[in-house]
Amino acid sequence: MCKKIILGLLAACAIVAIPVRAHHSFVMFETAKQTTLAGTVTSFEWTNPHCYIEIDVKDAAGAVKHWSVELGSPSILQQGGWKFNTLKKGAEITVTLNPLKNGNPGGLLVQATLADGKKLGNGPGRGAQK
Amino acid sequence: MKLFAFVVFTSACFAQVDLSGAWAPSRATGPSAPAPPTPILLKAPYKAAYDELQAKIRAASARGEQYAVKGLCSPYGVPTMMTVASYPAEIIQTPKQITIVTEAFSEVRRIFMGKTQTPIDDVPPGYYGRSVGRWDKDTLVVDTVGIKTTAPGYQNMPHSDQMRITERFRRPTPETLHDQITIEDPITLEQPVTYTLVFRLLADYEMVEFVCDNNREYIDENNIVRLKLHDK
Repeated sequence: MCKKIILGLLAACAIVAIPVRAHHSFVMFETAKQTTLAGTVTSFEWTNPHCYIEIDVKDAAGAVKHWSVELGSPSILQQGGWKFNTLKKGAEITVTLNPLKNGNPGGLLVQATLADGKKLGNGPGRGAQK
Repeated sequence: MKLFAFVVFTSACFAQVDLSGAWAPSRATGPSAPAPPTPILLKAPYKAAYDELQAKIRAASARGEQYAVKGLCSPYGVPTMMTVASYPAEIIQTPKQITIVTEAFSEVRRIFMGKTQTPIDDVPPGYYGRSVGRWDKDTLVVDTVGIKTTAPGYQNMPHSDQMRITERFRRPTPETLHDQITIEDPITLEQPVTYTLVFRLLADYEMVEFVCDNNREYIDENNIVRLKLHDK
């Protein structure tokens, strides 16, 4: 009897894993690695299923390389303080990202630092270090 | 006072419950936690095909790639639309129809209340099929048939055009909603699969538009998800 009660209590207290589906996995990004880039915004796309920041980054010799940065969706981002007009073309920005594993110039945003010093992550609980 | 408590209690037991509102996927612990999911036991040859798919997904992941199991902007359908990442679902309840609108991909399913279900073979296959609902005391019981075989399955499991989905929606606490989902399929499953989704109420939440019109991810010839980059 006691065994049944204990088993029942254990079952009741168990954390139940819910089968949540992600829109996609983030396996294409090197999540254990972070790259920080400072550049100029060429466009900010407030779109679904993801938002994107396009930036031109100059190296020490002045050569420009273009990067595409993937963010969460508008729904997720607005919970973390982003707005559709947070970035405008020509804005200076510093982004920390998880780069693509294939080495192409793209990545998943970890944190953005705006020209006024404001830091924004990739949605609530996703990278903002305040 | 005792009479009032009795009236409230009996009302809760025998009257329909208001499920309206925006609900976000959550997890429950303690006494209100639902039972764990039952295993997926597939009949041959569906099991072999499922195992092969799972192996492809694992192999791609080990290479740092994602094996695509659905079109990237296509709908999820019933039942998988109910939990896509952390996106909420809004329930709009009227006496004749309960409508569920999910934020992710703006999917809509309609549950016709008090109507008789149509035989499975007479329902045109689709992502949402045909759903009818009834109240069992404080629980909304929903019967769905007519899900097309190409619609994503729970845990990517295959299903036939004979699949039947029974859901039991209830609010174990004022802030919590459970959707217990049972999938029966006499063609593909050895036994029904049951799992329970847990949601938490998002008070005063305003659902956000979600139109998938800028998907830079694409599926290559090897069924791997790639990201299209811009050069300016």
